[in-house]
Amino acid sequence: MLVVVTYSREARTTLRNACRNNEAAVVERVGRAALLAATELGAFLALRLRAKHGADVWVGRTEPFNEFADAPEAVRTAATAYEDRESPYTPYAKFAAGTDHPAPERMADREL
Amino acid sequence: MTPAVVVDGRRYSGQGIDLRDEEVAPETVVAALDRAGNAEALDGEPDDAATAASADRTVAYHGPSPGVGHGILREPADGRPTLRATLAAAARSRGLTASVDDDIEGIRAQLASLSVGSASTAAQRRRESAAGADVAELRERVAALRGQLEARREVGAPTEAVAEKIAAAAAELSEAETERVAAEQALADAERRSRPNRAARRRRLRLQDRLANLERDARAELAAAVHDDFAAAAEAVPGAVDAGDDPGSISGDRLAARYAALRVADLDAPVVLTGGRFPDADAAAATLSTPVVRV
Repeated sequence: MLVVVTYSREARTTLRNACRNNEAAVVERVGRAALLAATELGAFLALRLRAKHGADVWVGRTEPFNEFADAPEAVRTAATAYEDRESPYTPYAKFAAGTDHPAPERMADREL
Repeated sequence: MTPAVVVDGRRYSGQGIDLRDEEVAPETVVAALDRAGNAEALDGEPDDAATAASADRTVAYHGPSPGVGHGILREPADGRPTLRATLAAAARSRGLTASVDDDIEGIRAQLASLSVGSASTAAQRRRESAAGADVAELRERVAALRGQLEARREVGAPTEAVAEKIAAAAAELSEAETERVAAEQALADAERRSRPNRAARRRRLRLQDRLANLERDARAELAAAVHDDFAAAAEAVPGAVDAGDDPGSISGDRLAARYAALRVADLDAPVVLTGGRFPDADAAAATLSTPVVRV
């Protein structure tokens, strides 16, 4: 899918209108961003936005995330363990300290 | 100072100026008034003639400078700007201020000082795409030549010429692959460099949204502040307007509502009227208690 993020009021308005008028190409629209179908129509919409609003439109390409292929086991385990924690008020950094779970800073530095 | 308009050398002055016989376009008169406003903003000499020329007509305005609110109020029409904005401009022309004005100024200053550079990665995207296409094409060529080489070997034909072509193509392919790696790296770098730029654009968008909200609050507050006067003015202008209990519940003739807003406003420079609801320019000026140019 194509992901379109807008960075100005004008670009956001154009995105909103374009999505309203081209439902066939729109997977999701949330605020100033949208997921467009990976079709020529999706590309056409994204490029129209970019032609009109230049650098106020960012276009990326996404694919569904498979955590078993894309994320290390330590990260998967940490996520599950943290969501099972006893106190809902424990921040993750504190939860991970002194355990085998990776620290947030370490995860931030490691690319998938 | 009495407002005056000079059209192609002919001078008209007074609170009500009738230019119907001149058949000038309203935009030309508005442009002359605008120039008066800009001249004041630029060099503080509001009384200088502000001349606008269009379609071989020369229109000059001499008179009090268009003050606050004039830009919104100068051409009453039943569409835009919204009635709320019109009433707010009328309030501003009377010197009223809104409680959020300081916040609005603060955000405008922040926006003015915020600079967002260019974040385009188009050149790098194009380069990466071209490099990828070159690699694909050269790979196909090398594969095709290898096929030819194999075929010639099988039938015992000479292979030197094809082998030379393969060597040349392989060298080109290796160069193209190097270029592709460089192009991919350049695109990744450009994308990374553009991130802070997008963050600046995001900040700008948040400020713009906040500014729009505050301006809306200010308009609502200012419109409400003159609503009682508006209700009284609505009784005095041609056309039926129900002022309701607040600016949100005004209904009826939308042009008449703009006229009532003008009656509420305090403008020294004339507004431009095109409609035919008043017998003449002087009557319009008297009813609207605003200088008028009728075109």
